[in-house]
Amino acid sequence: MAFRLNGVRVEDTFAEAFRLWVSRLIITAKNARWARIAAQTMTGFATSIIMCGCEAGIECELSPDETPDGRPGVSVLVFTGRKDMEDQLLRRVGQCVLTSPTSAVYNGIPLEEAEDTVSLGGRLRFFGDGYQKKVRLGDGLGAKRRLWRIPVMEGEFLIEDKFGMKRGVAGGNFIILGRDVDSALEASERAVKAIESVKGVITPFPGGVCRSGSKVGSRYKFLRASTNTPLCPTLRAEVPDTQVPEGVGSVFEIVINGVDLDSVKRAMAVGIREAVKVDGVLGITAGNYGGRLGKYLIYLKECLGV
Amino acid sequence: MTVRLRPKELPKVPVEAYCITPDEFAGKTVEELRNLTVWVGKRCRKLGDLFEVYGESGDNAEDTEIVVEGDVPTVKYIGYEMTAGRIVIQGRSGAHTGARMSGGEIVVEGDVGEWSGAEMSGGVLRVHGNADHFLGASYLGSPFGMTGGAIIVHGSVGAETCRGMRRGLLVVLGDAGEFLGADMVAGTIIVFGKACRGLGAHMGNKGAVIIVHGGVEEMPPTFVYDATYSPTFIRLLMRELHRTYGVEEASRYMDAVYDRYHGDLAEGGGGEIFLLRGGKRLTNT
Repeated sequence: MAFRLNGVRVEDTFAEAFRLWVSRLIITAKNARWARIAAQTMTGFATSIIMCGCEAGIECELSPDETPDGRPGVSVLVFTGRKDMEDQLLRRVGQCVLTSPTSAVYNGIPLEEAEDTVSLGGRLRFFGDGYQKKVRLGDGLGAKRRLWRIPVMEGEFLIEDKFGMKRGVAGGNFIILGRDVDSALEASERAVKAIESVKGVITPFPGGVCRSGSKVGSRYKFLRASTNTPLCPTLRAEVPDTQVPEGVGSVFEIVINGVDLDSVKRAMAVGIREAVKVDGVLGITAGNYGGRLGKYLIYLKECLGV
Repeated sequence: MTVRLRPKELPKVPVEAYCITPDEFAGKTVEELRNLTVWVGKRCRKLGDLFEVYGESGDNAEDTEIVVEGDVPTVKYIGYEMTAGRIVIQGRSGAHTGARMSGGEIVVEGDVGEWSGAEMSGGVLRVHGNADHFLGASYLGSPFGMTGGAIIVHGSVGAETCRGMRRGLLVVLGDAGEFLGADMVAGTIIVFGKACRGLGAHMGNKGAVIIVHGGVEEMPPTFVYDATYSPTFIRLLMRELHRTYGVEEASRYMDAVYDRYHGDLAEGGGGEIFLLRGGKRLTNT
């Protein structure tokens, strides 16, 4: 079963998403360039929880008016398991943001909205070797916040004590089937660009695009995941369960993680609608495991409102 | 719900009005409010003898606002130990205003007397005029002054303001008197005018911060200069002051550069004083 959108065949299937915990960090710096460098470094090796420990990406850039300290900033979302969040944030902020010139980090999920908290500044402060200083905000107003000033060679690193986290949605996706690499990649790029306008989501893969989707398991016992053979165009005539239609020469997957299900659905819809505008896109489908693994089944038809 | 108090002719003897708090007013009828006890010197009087009382109080302190219509410089202890609600004094207020308060808001449109906000632990005390000595300080014999909350003074403050401060925020848009933040353990003091001698004397623990923008008359010799820079946390504080506490002046200092000193070395040296660069330089460091 399928339906058509802008003349492109869209499979009537679903993306299978799962629950991960999400934390939001607001990174600021002297200018937008350094805020971006800190954020990109921190989220560099964070494409898939399978091997990276977390999935992370830049949610959006923030103008000085939108940040706590009035400097340019970047909002970063980090997705991982509840128990792993502190470790992941500690490693990534400690090695990539603390070290980045002029940076400061603030909690992006208000503690009153958070389902749990991570003591990040409270752990990193020990880097100050006893010379760290506490900063309190919100005295008298009931919304108290605590931050730490850690002396560093450049000056001072400022980081919030506690970071909120809550249940998020990971693994939302859609797959673009293109006539060739050029058309499939152009459609992917345009889809990712469109998704950037949706608040509360990230596309954690390089440039937001994954060219090597995986399937669960492999013929090798030591490997948990292997290449998605049914969607490899070069294996179309070789594997019995191929899903590559005739004429398709290249396939890309756009993976979307979001702070909630609605934002993931919105991002998928925006991305698909943009992708089907590109000449050479022959089909859209989505990755799932037959509904066995994920908590959320996001039907393409439903999120597109068709 | 608002209760209004219009002063009748007040006695020259100081009045101790511990009862003028939203906590005490909540759930009472006007008649009951008129019968509340105040002390005029050693004599016990009724609130209704000194004030015309009208309006209606809320069911609880949080929903109760008290408006004092006029100058009451001889009325002490207004808002003493209040926990919630709001008091507006449309004129001057007496000593101990908001002392030991732990929540709510007091707005004084004129000056306040000595010991106002003393040992307060929460809430906001906003003074549009000047504040007399010992604002937010510890009472004699008590180890700590302010332990929380915020005091915002649009004018100047007297001597020994926030002595023994342990936590909280003091913002002074005018000048500060002698021994500002003496014996301070922690907390934040921001002065947009100048500070007098004895600034931060005996500041001990780390976490105590005084930021002065208008120069300092004389620095204690036990503070040493460290560096000149533009701390991100001050930027954050200034933004917070502007956005949350409505202190317009703060937005001028978002990119300011400060000289950092630490001390008091006679007490461990954990405190910090930041002087706006361009303010009066010290002669003894």
